[in-house]
Amino acid sequence: MTIVGPMVAAIAIIAGFQVINPFFLRYQGIITLVYAMSYFLIVACGLTFVIMMGSFDFSVVSLLKLSALLCVLYIDKLGLLVIPLALLISIGIGYINGLLVVKFKVPSFMATLGVSVVVEAIAWYLSKGFLHIIYDETFRALATTFIAGLPSIFYWAMGIWIISTFIAMCTPSGRRTYAIGGNLIGAGLSGINVKRHRIYVFMLCSFFAGLAGVLYMAQMGGGSMEIGGADLAVAVFASVVAGGTALTGGVGGPHRTLLGVIIITWIQAGMLMLAMGRDIQMVTFGLIAVGMSIATIDRRRIKIIK
Amino acid sequence: MKIVGRNKLITPVIFQTLKTHPVILALIALFVIFSGLYPERFLTPLNLSSILKQFVELMLFALGPSIVLVIGSLDLSFVGIWMLGGILVWLLMPILGMFSILVIPLLGLATGLLIGVIQVKVKIPSFILTLGLLVAYWGLTAVLSGGYPRSVRQYAFITARLIPYLPTAFLWSIPIIIVAVFIIKCTRIGTYLYAIGSNEEGAHLAGINVDKYRILTFTLSGLFTGIGLIILFPHLGCTAPIELKLNNVILPLVAIVLGGTPLVGGSGGPQRTILGALTLAVVYRGLYLSLLHPATIQLLVGLLLIISIVVSTRGLKGVTIT
Repeated sequence: MTIVGPMVAAIAIIAGFQVINPFFLRYQGIITLVYAMSYFLIVACGLTFVIMMGSFDFSVVSLLKLSALLCVLYIDKLGLLVIPLALLISIGIGYINGLLVVKFKVPSFMATLGVSVVVEAIAWYLSKGFLHIIYDETFRALATTFIAGLPSIFYWAMGIWIISTFIAMCTPSGRRTYAIGGNLIGAGLSGINVKRHRIYVFMLCSFFAGLAGVLYMAQMGGGSMEIGGADLAVAVFASVVAGGTALTGGVGGPHRTLLGVIIITWIQAGMLMLAMGRDIQMVTFGLIAVGMSIATIDRRRIKIIK
Repeated sequence: MKIVGRNKLITPVIFQTLKTHPVILALIALFVIFSGLYPERFLTPLNLSSILKQFVELMLFALGPSIVLVIGSLDLSFVGIWMLGGILVWLLMPILGMFSILVIPLLGLATGLLIGVIQVKVKIPSFILTLGLLVAYWGLTAVLSGGYPRSVRQYAFITARLIPYLPTAFLWSIPIIIVAVFIIKCTRIGTYLYAIGSNEEGAHLAGINVDKYRILTFTLSGLFTGIGLIILFPHLGCTAPIELKLNNVILPLVAIVLGGTPLVGGSGGPQRTILGALTLAVVYRGLYLSLLHPATIQLLVGLLLIISIVVSTRGLKGVTIT
């Protein structure tokens, strides 16, 4: 699927909601949208790499929750050192994901599902179910300093997106990811160390999820076990496929994911404005995820679909 | 040739069964361990009946997905059928009276048919499809219920106490499980499903209409889930939930994997899931009694899922895992 499809959809949605409510894009509305979109985009960029490679990562949302909660729980004791702690733990869990898929041959969906259950349990145990709040101003400034009218988390997200696109399109590493997604066996035969690269991609995805968690906590200032959840997981997945990155792998990329994120967060904000509850949003995102997966799957390559 | 007497065959048969079903060892070991750790709490009739209740819940939810897993696909929509079915029963109660519970098997049948047809026509991985459907059903349930869980008290008689300490739901579930195992193991349909699961290309070349049996599998899965839900609905409190707890989806899957059905299909099935569900019920109840923090129990369940998948995929060669 070319980039025209998602682009047209994005413009149509923006225009559509603009027509329904002309005040949608006032300054405050834009700020709200930016806040909703930024951490979302970071997670989606990470997930894009994994899906480009032909796998899935269900643990991104749980990782976001864990790293956010790690920040808020230990910032009193460790100060700003919680950031590298959260990032290191996320990378570690990404490594475990990769190990399970590559070395133990667990299907990536099940492996990351299992890991997400474990991560949620850890987050639950550490946070004890309570709501925790950050009082440290330096940490919050990471995401909320206003530069040129937009919060700094926006620049973080844009920076991550530019780096992701660069990695995907212009580096040999990105090329390897596309190759593995396009033809797993062929990529291995042409000299790519498939096992090592897949683990690396899982680690990258989890790193982005952890980073998004840290920035989310900086933006929100507090959190509990309520962060994320099934809603966020469906929405992130929907945004990656809505951008045109196919589940079969080998196509798409972070540049497409930006469009997908715009589409999904815009729909989310618009639905909120139209007072459509969370349930209808869930149905919509589920249908978008399934519909776009159907539209982008490369049927010529997959003869056997389980 | 000396004809071996029947009693001489008992020991090798037992060993062979244990080798192919290692989960039996796990079940016995765990039962013994928990009985030893908490004798006054574990071996009581109340606890044993709780184990049976947990087993019924796990088994009836896992029955549909077990059938689908034989051909190598996943079916995650069973919780969705529970939620949407429950709400539909609540809605149709004033109109159809006691017959409204029959809407659940119908919904299950329709859902299975829908999944099967979409899978065959559009060729999308089954777990994405069923996951999407699950989320869609969840949303629909929330819309139809107006945001509150609804209860339908009239069906409580289905699981009313008959024999003390033996859950009636367990008695009801026995015929359902037997029928499912019979279909998988003793009919031609079952054999074809195993063939499709082991080698879809080969099955197709051998003349099996793979598409037709795929649709049939999902339909059967939905139907069995629906029928099982007639029992589960009163068993789980006669309410239609509106919160999607991921636990409800994962625990039956853990039971299936524990039982020894590989995720790529081709072997296993409901008969294995019986053992897996029993073992998981014992583990869950045992851990529950141990006064561990619920988060720790959750963590152990997650680890159990991962470990059992790792153990069950160890024998797979030549399978590319994405």
